[in-house]
Amino acid sequence: MKLILPDRSARVLDIPPSPLEAILLGEGINPLEVIASRNGILITEDTVVGTEDEIRLLQIAHGG
Amino acid sequence: MDPGPVRPEVPRCSLCPAPAVLFQRQTGLYLCGIHATADICDRVAATIREESMIAPGDRVAVALSGGKDSTALLMILSRLLPSWEGVSLVAITIDEGIAGYRDDTVRSAERLVQSLGVEHHSIAFADLFGDTLDELLKGREKEACTVCGILRKKALIVAAEEAGATKLATGHNLDDEAQSVLMNVLRGDLPRLVRNTGAPSSGQFLPRIKPLMRIAEKEIATWLLVNNAWTDLPECPYARHALRREVRSLLSSLEYRHPGTMQHLMESKKKIETYCAGSFVEEPIRRCRACGDPCSGELCQLCQLKKTFGR
Repeated sequence: MKLILPDRSARVLDIPPSPLEAILLGEGINPLEVIASRNGILITEDTVVGTEDEIRLLQIAHGG
Repeated sequence: MDPGPVRPEVPRCSLCPAPAVLFQRQTGLYLCGIHATADICDRVAATIREESMIAPGDRVAVALSGGKDSTALLMILSRLLPSWEGVSLVAITIDEGIAGYRDDTVRSAERLVQSLGVEHHSIAFADLFGDTLDELLKGREKEACTVCGILRKKALIVAAEEAGATKLATGHNLDDEAQSVLMNVLRGDLPRLVRNTGAPSSGQFLPRIKPLMRIAEKEIATWLLVNNAWTDLPECPYARHALRREVRSLLSSLEYRHPGTMQHLMESKKKIETYCAGSFVEEPIRRCRACGDPCSGELCQLCQLKKTFGR
Protein backbone atom coordinates (compact mmCIF):
# COMPACT_ATOMS: atom_id res chain seq x y z
CA MET A 1 0.00 0.00 0.00
CA LYS A 2 1.02 3.60 -0.49
CA LEU A 3 1.07 5.92 2.50
CA ILE A 4 1.18 9.65 1.70
CA LEU A 5 2.37 11.58 4.75
CA PRO A 6 1.24 15.10 5.76
CA ASP A 7 4.42 16.58 4.27
CA ARG A 8 3.34 14.94 0.96
CA SER A 9 6.23 12.48 0.96
CA ALA A 10 5.15 8.90 0.18
CA ARG A 11 6.09 5.50 1.56
CA VAL A 12 5.26 2.17 -0.04
CA LEU A 13 4.57 -0.43 2.66
CA ASP A 14 4.82 -4.13 1.86
CA ILE A 15 2.50 -5.44 4.58
CA PRO A 16 -0.68 -7.57 4.64
CA PRO A 17 -4.12 -5.94 5.06
CA SER A 18 -4.17 -4.28 8.49
CA PRO A 19 -6.20 -1.77 10.51
CA LEU A 20 -5.09 1.77 9.73
CA GLU A 21 -4.44 2.36 13.44
CA ALA A 22 -1.80 -0.40 13.51
CA ILE A 23 -0.15 1.00 10.39
CA LEU A 24 0.02 4.51 11.88
CA LEU A 25 1.44 3.25 15.15
CA GLY A 26 4.01 1.25 13.22
CA GLU A 27 5.08 4.46 11.52
CA GLY A 28 5.29 6.31 14.84
CA ILE A 29 2.21 8.43 14.14
CA ASN A 30 -0.39 9.16 16.83
CA PRO A 31 -3.78 8.37 15.22
CA LEU A 32 -5.31 11.36 17.04
CA GLU A 33 -3.02 13.78 15.20
CA VAL A 34 -3.98 12.89 11.65
CA ILE A 35 -7.01 12.29 9.46
CA ALA A 36 -6.84 9.62 6.80
CA SER A 37 -8.50 9.19 3.45
CA ARG A 38 -8.42 6.06 1.31
CA ASN A 39 -8.60 6.71 -2.39
CA GLY A 40 -10.11 10.14 -1.58
CA ILE A 41 -12.70 8.96 0.99
CA LEU A 42 -12.35 9.65 4.72
CA ILE A 43 -11.86 6.54 6.85
CA THR A 44 -11.73 5.79 10.56
CA GLU A 45 -8.68 4.36 12.32
CA ASP A 46 -10.03 0.82 12.54
CA THR A 47 -10.74 0.52 8.82
CA VAL A 48 -8.77 -2.38 7.38
CA VAL A 49 -6.46 -1.11 4.67
CA GLY A 50 -5.63 -3.37 1.73
CA THR A 51 -2.38 -3.92 -0.11
CA GLU A 52 -3.48 -1.89 -3.16
CA ASP A 53 -4.88 1.09 -1.25
CA GLU A 54 -3.52 4.62 -1.30
CA ILE A 55 -3.79 6.28 2.11
CA ARG A 56 -3.35 10.02 2.43
CA LEU A 57 -2.76 11.59 5.86
CA LEU A 58 -3.56 15.16 6.86
CA GLN A 59 -1.99 16.79 9.90
CA ILE A 60 -4.80 18.32 11.97
CA ALA A 61 -2.84 20.50 14.43
CA HIS A 62 -1.21 23.73 13.32
CA GLY A 63 -0.17 26.98 14.91
CA GLY A 64 1.75 27.89 18.03
CA MET B 1 -0.44 0.63 22.16
CA ASP B 2 -2.47 -2.36 21.02
CA PRO B 3 -4.81 -1.35 18.16
CA GLY B 4 -7.04 -4.37 18.82
CA PRO B 5 -8.36 -7.10 16.52
CA VAL B 6 -8.62 -6.72 12.74
CA ARG B 7 -12.15 -5.83 11.51
CA PRO B 8 -12.89 -7.34 8.14
CA GLU B 9 -15.41 -4.64 7.17
CA VAL B 10 -15.41 -0.87 6.77
CA PRO B 11 -17.03 0.59 9.90
CA ARG B 12 -20.58 1.86 9.33
CA CYS B 13 -22.31 4.81 10.95
CA SER B 14 -24.00 3.84 14.22
CA LEU B 15 -27.09 5.83 13.15
CA CYS B 16 -27.47 4.89 9.46
CA PRO B 17 -25.98 2.47 6.88
CA ALA B 18 -23.46 5.01 5.46
CA PRO B 19 -19.70 4.47 5.90
CA ALA B 20 -18.30 6.07 9.06
CA VAL B 21 -15.86 8.98 8.77
CA LEU B 22 -15.43 9.57 12.51
CA PHE B 23 -15.13 7.37 15.57
CA GLN B 24 -16.14 9.24 18.71
CA ARG B 25 -14.04 7.80 21.48
CA GLN B 26 -16.10 9.47 24.22
CA THR B 27 -19.42 7.92 23.12
CA GLY B 28 -18.23 4.84 21.23
CA LEU B 29 -20.27 5.96 18.20
CA TYR B 30 -19.23 5.71 14.58
CA LEU B 31 -20.61 8.63 12.56
CA CYS B 32 -20.99 9.24 8.84
CA GLY B 33 -20.42 12.72 7.36
CA ILE B 34 -24.04 13.80 7.77
CA HIS B 35 -24.38 12.58 11.36
CA ALA B 36 -20.92 13.89 12.36
CA THR B 37 -21.86 17.34 11.02
CA ALA B 38 -25.20 17.33 12.85
CA ASP B 39 -23.69 16.01 16.09
CA ILE B 40 -20.97 18.68 16.20
CA CYS B 41 -23.43 21.51 15.42
CA ASP B 42 -25.79 20.20 18.13
CA ARG B 43 -22.98 20.04 20.72
CA VAL B 44 -21.83 23.58 19.87
CA ALA B 45 -25.41 24.82 20.25
CA ALA B 46 -25.68 22.98 23.59
CA THR B 47 -22.40 24.51 24.82
CA ILE B 48 -23.60 28.00 23.91
CA ARG B 49 -26.91 27.39 25.70
CA GLU B 50 -25.51 25.69 28.81
CA GLU B 51 -22.73 28.27 29.29
CA SER B 52 -25.09 31.20 28.49
CA MET B 53 -22.60 32.40 25.89
CA ILE B 54 -24.96 34.33 23.64
CA ALA B 55 -28.01 36.42 24.60
CA PRO B 56 -30.77 37.89 22.42
CA GLY B 57 -29.54 41.05 20.71
CA ASP B 58 -25.85 40.13 20.95
CA ARG B 59 -23.49 41.12 18.17
CA VAL B 60 -20.90 38.36 18.11
CA ALA B 61 -17.47 39.08 16.66
CA VAL B 62 -15.78 35.91 15.48
CA ALA B 63 -11.99 36.09 15.59
CA LEU B 64 -11.31 34.69 12.13
CA SER B 65 -7.68 33.89 11.41
CA GLY B 66 -8.62 31.80 8.40
CA GLY B 67 -7.22 28.67 10.06
CA LYS B 68 -9.28 25.56 10.63
CA ASP B 69 -10.79 26.29 14.04
CA SER B 70 -11.98 29.82 13.33
CA THR B 71 -13.24 28.73 9.90
CA ALA B 72 -15.31 25.96 11.47
CA LEU B 73 -16.54 28.32 14.20
CA LEU B 74 -17.79 30.95 11.74
CA MET B 75 -19.44 28.33 9.54
CA ILE B 76 -21.17 26.64 12.48
CA LEU B 77 -22.34 29.94 14.01
CA SER B 78 -23.66 31.01 10.59
CA ARG B 79 -25.75 27.84 10.49
CA LEU B 80 -27.01 28.27 14.06
CA LEU B 81 -27.68 32.01 13.76
CA PRO B 82 -31.23 31.84 12.35
CA SER B 83 -32.40 30.15 15.58
CA TRP B 84 -31.22 33.04 17.79
CA GLU B 85 -33.34 36.12 18.32
CA GLY B 86 -31.74 39.33 17.08
CA VAL B 87 -28.19 37.98 17.14
CA SER B 88 -25.79 39.21 14.46
CA LEU B 89 -22.35 38.00 13.41
CA VAL B 90 -19.28 39.90 12.30
CA ALA B 91 -15.86 38.45 11.50
CA ILE B 92 -12.62 40.13 12.52
CA THR B 93 -9.21 39.26 11.17
CA ILE B 94 -5.86 40.31 12.58
CA ASP B 95 -2.91 40.50 10.20
CA GLU B 96 0.10 40.16 12.50
CA GLY B 97 2.54 40.53 9.62
CA ILE B 98 4.14 37.07 9.51
CA ALA B 99 5.83 36.53 6.16
CA GLY B 100 5.05 33.28 4.37
CA TYR B 101 2.19 32.44 6.71
CA ARG B 102 -0.45 35.06 7.37
CA ASP B 103 -1.09 36.07 3.76
CA ASP B 104 -2.49 32.61 2.96
CA THR B 105 -4.77 32.51 6.00
CA VAL B 106 -6.00 36.09 5.45
CA ARG B 107 -6.95 35.17 1.87
CA SER B 108 -8.71 32.08 3.16
CA ALA B 109 -10.63 34.25 5.66
CA GLU B 110 -11.66 36.70 2.93
CA ARG B 111 -12.96 33.89 0.71
CA LEU B 112 -14.97 32.47 3.61
CA VAL B 113 -16.71 35.70 4.62
CA GLN B 114 -17.58 36.38 0.99
CA SER B 115 -19.13 32.93 0.59
CA LEU B 116 -21.09 33.26 3.86
CA GLY B 117 -22.06 36.93 3.36
CA VAL B 118 -20.70 37.90 6.80
CA GLU B 119 -19.50 41.44 7.55
CA HIS B 120 -15.71 41.51 7.88
CA HIS B 121 -13.30 43.85 9.67
CA SER B 122 -9.52 43.54 9.39
CA ILE B 123 -6.77 45.19 11.36
CA ALA B 124 -2.98 44.93 10.94
CA PHE B 125 -0.27 45.06 13.61
CA ALA B 126 1.62 47.45 11.33
CA ASP B 127 -1.27 49.95 11.50
CA LEU B 128 -2.03 49.47 15.19
CA PHE B 129 1.46 49.07 16.65
CA GLY B 130 3.64 50.64 13.94
CA ASP B 131 5.41 47.42 12.89
CA THR B 132 4.77 43.89 11.72
CA LEU B 133 5.29 41.02 14.17
CA ASP B 134 8.31 39.93 12.13
CA GLU B 135 9.94 43.33 12.68
CA LEU B 136 9.02 43.50 16.37
CA LEU B 137 10.44 40.03 17.04
CA LYS B 138 13.89 40.46 15.51
CA GLY B 139 16.27 38.91 18.05
CA ARG B 140 13.33 37.90 20.26
CA GLU B 141 11.97 34.96 18.29
CA LYS B 142 11.75 32.71 21.35
CA GLU B 143 9.23 35.13 22.90
CA ALA B 144 7.09 35.07 19.75
CA CYS B 145 3.96 33.45 21.15
CA THR B 146 3.93 35.58 24.31
CA VAL B 147 4.46 38.84 22.39
CA CYS B 148 2.02 37.90 19.65
CA GLY B 149 -0.59 36.82 22.20
CA ILE B 150 -0.52 40.17 24.01
CA LEU B 151 -0.60 42.24 20.80
CA ARG B 152 -3.26 40.08 19.16
CA LYS B 153 -5.47 40.30 22.25
CA LYS B 154 -5.36 44.10 22.07
CA ALA B 155 -5.91 44.07 18.29
CA LEU B 156 -8.94 41.79 18.66
CA ILE B 157 -10.47 44.07 21.29
CA VAL B 158 -9.90 47.17 19.13
CA ALA B 159 -11.38 45.47 16.06
CA ALA B 160 -14.33 44.03 18.00
CA GLU B 161 -15.12 47.42 19.54
CA GLU B 162 -14.89 49.07 16.10
CA ALA B 163 -17.34 46.47 14.84
CA GLY B 164 -19.74 47.21 17.71
CA ALA B 165 -19.47 43.70 19.12
CA THR B 166 -20.90 42.67 22.49
CA LYS B 167 -19.11 39.28 22.54
CA LEU B 168 -15.83 38.03 21.12
CA ALA B 169 -15.93 34.41 19.96
CA THR B 170 -12.70 32.48 19.46
CA GLY B 171 -12.14 29.06 17.91
CA HIS B 172 -10.46 27.39 20.90
CA ASN B 173 -11.31 23.70 20.89
CA LEU B 174 -11.11 21.01 23.59
CA ASP B 175 -7.48 20.24 22.78
CA ASP B 176 -6.52 23.95 23.00
CA GLU B 177 -8.33 24.36 26.30
CA ALA B 178 -6.79 21.25 27.86
CA GLN B 179 -3.34 22.39 26.66
CA SER B 180 -3.89 25.79 28.29
CA VAL B 181 -4.85 24.17 31.61
CA LEU B 182 -1.70 22.05 31.61
CA MET B 183 0.49 24.99 30.51
CA ASN B 184 -0.85 27.15 33.35
CA VAL B 185 -0.15 24.35 35.81
CA LEU B 186 3.38 23.88 34.43
CA ARG B 187 4.00 27.63 34.74
CA GLY B 188 2.51 27.74 38.23
CA ASP B 189 0.08 30.42 37.08
CA LEU B 190 -2.94 29.79 39.29
CA PRO B 191 -4.64 33.18 38.64
CA ARG B 192 -4.65 32.50 34.90
CA LEU B 193 -5.81 28.92 35.48
CA VAL B 194 -8.96 30.07 37.28
CA ARG B 195 -9.63 33.21 35.22
CA ASN B 196 -13.02 33.17 33.49
CA THR B 197 -12.77 35.48 30.49
CA GLY B 198 -16.39 34.83 29.52
CA ALA B 199 -17.84 36.18 32.76
CA PRO B 200 -19.67 39.53 32.80
CA SER B 201 -17.40 42.25 34.25
CA SER B 202 -19.59 45.33 34.54
CA GLY B 203 -18.62 46.32 31.01
CA GLN B 204 -14.89 46.48 31.78
CA PHE B 205 -13.94 43.59 29.51
CA LEU B 206 -15.51 42.44 26.28
CA PRO B 207 -16.70 38.92 27.23
CA ARG B 208 -14.91 36.19 25.28
CA ILE B 209 -16.73 33.00 24.39
CA LYS B 210 -15.40 29.67 23.14
CA PRO B 211 -18.26 27.75 21.53
CA LEU B 212 -15.93 24.92 20.31
CA MET B 213 -14.48 24.28 23.78
CA ARG B 214 -16.04 20.79 24.00
CA ILE B 215 -15.19 19.71 20.45
CA ALA B 216 -11.97 17.78 19.87
CA GLU B 217 -9.53 19.04 17.27
CA LYS B 218 -9.92 15.88 15.21
CA GLU B 219 -13.70 16.34 15.11
CA ILE B 220 -13.27 19.90 13.84
CA ALA B 221 -10.90 18.77 11.10
CA THR B 222 -13.36 16.03 10.12
CA TRP B 223 -16.23 18.55 10.07
CA LEU B 224 -14.27 20.80 7.69
CA LEU B 225 -13.34 17.95 5.36
CA VAL B 226 -16.90 16.64 5.24
CA ASN B 227 -18.20 20.14 4.53
CA ASN B 228 -15.60 20.82 1.80
CA ALA B 229 -14.03 23.63 3.84
CA TRP B 230 -10.62 22.15 4.59
CA THR B 231 -7.70 24.25 3.41
CA ASP B 232 -4.17 22.98 3.78
CA LEU B 233 -2.47 26.02 5.27
CA PRO B 234 1.14 26.51 6.36
CA GLU B 235 2.19 26.33 10.00
CA CYS B 236 3.17 29.52 11.82
CA PRO B 237 6.97 29.79 11.54
CA TYR B 238 7.20 30.81 15.20
CA ALA B 239 5.33 27.71 16.46
CA ARG B 240 8.56 25.76 16.87
CA HIS B 241 9.48 28.00 19.82
CA ALA B 242 6.21 27.42 21.65
CA LEU B 243 5.75 25.48 24.89
CA ARG B 244 2.29 24.71 23.54
CA ARG B 245 3.77 22.55 20.82
CA GLU B 246 5.43 20.27 23.37
CA VAL B 247 2.34 20.23 25.57
CA ARG B 248 0.14 19.41 22.56
CA SER B 249 2.27 16.40 21.67
CA LEU B 250 2.37 15.19 25.28
CA LEU B 251 -1.38 15.57 25.82
CA SER B 252 -2.25 14.01 22.50
CA SER B 253 -0.17 10.98 23.38
CA LEU B 254 -1.80 10.74 26.82
CA GLU B 255 -5.27 11.12 25.29
CA TYR B 256 -4.58 8.28 22.89
CA ARG B 257 -3.35 5.91 25.60
CA HIS B 258 -5.79 7.12 28.28
CA PRO B 259 -8.99 8.31 26.54
CA GLY B 260 -10.72 11.13 28.42
CA THR B 261 -7.50 12.75 29.68
CA MET B 262 -8.34 16.14 28.12
CA GLN B 263 -11.90 16.08 29.43
CA HIS B 264 -10.59 15.19 32.90
CA LEU B 265 -8.23 18.18 32.79
CA MET B 266 -11.16 20.47 31.99
CA GLU B 267 -13.18 18.98 34.83
CA SER B 268 -10.22 19.57 37.17
CA LYS B 269 -10.08 23.22 36.10
CA LYS B 270 -13.80 23.61 36.90
CA LYS B 271 -13.28 22.12 40.36
CA ILE B 272 -10.29 24.38 41.05
CA GLU B 273 -12.36 27.40 39.89
CA THR B 274 -15.05 26.42 42.39
CA TYR B 275 -12.56 26.01 45.25
CA CYS B 276 -10.92 29.36 44.42
CA ALA B 277 -14.12 31.38 43.92
CA GLY B 278 -13.93 34.55 46.01
CA SER B 279 -10.47 33.74 47.35
CA PHE B 280 -7.23 35.71 47.07
CA VAL B 281 -6.43 33.95 43.80
CA GLU B 282 -8.97 36.08 41.96
CA GLU B 283 -7.17 39.32 41.24
CA PRO B 284 -9.11 42.60 41.51
CA ILE B 285 -9.58 44.56 38.30
CA ARG B 286 -7.54 47.76 38.18
CA ARG B 287 -6.79 50.34 35.50
CA CYS B 288 -3.42 50.50 33.75
CA ARG B 289 -1.68 53.68 34.90
CA ALA B 290 -0.27 54.23 31.39
CA CYS B 291 -3.23 53.60 29.07
CA GLY B 292 -6.23 53.18 31.38
CA ASP B 293 -7.20 49.76 30.06
CA PRO B 294 -8.54 47.30 32.64
CA CYS B 295 -5.84 44.99 33.97
CA SER B 296 -4.74 43.14 37.12
CA GLY B 297 -1.51 45.02 37.91
CA GLU B 298 -0.05 48.53 37.77
CA LEU B 299 0.53 48.27 34.02
CA CYS B 300 -1.41 46.21 31.50
CA GLN B 301 0.46 43.50 29.60
CA LEU B 302 0.61 45.66 26.47
CA CYS B 303 2.16 48.63 28.25
CA GLN B 304 4.63 46.30 30.02
CA LEU B 305 5.59 44.94 26.61
CA LYS B 306 5.96 48.43 25.11
CA LYS B 307 8.24 49.32 28.04
CA THR B 308 10.35 46.21 27.40
CA PHE B 309 10.57 47.13 23.71
CA GLY B 310 11.49 50.71 24.61
CA ARG B 311 8.45 52.18 22.84
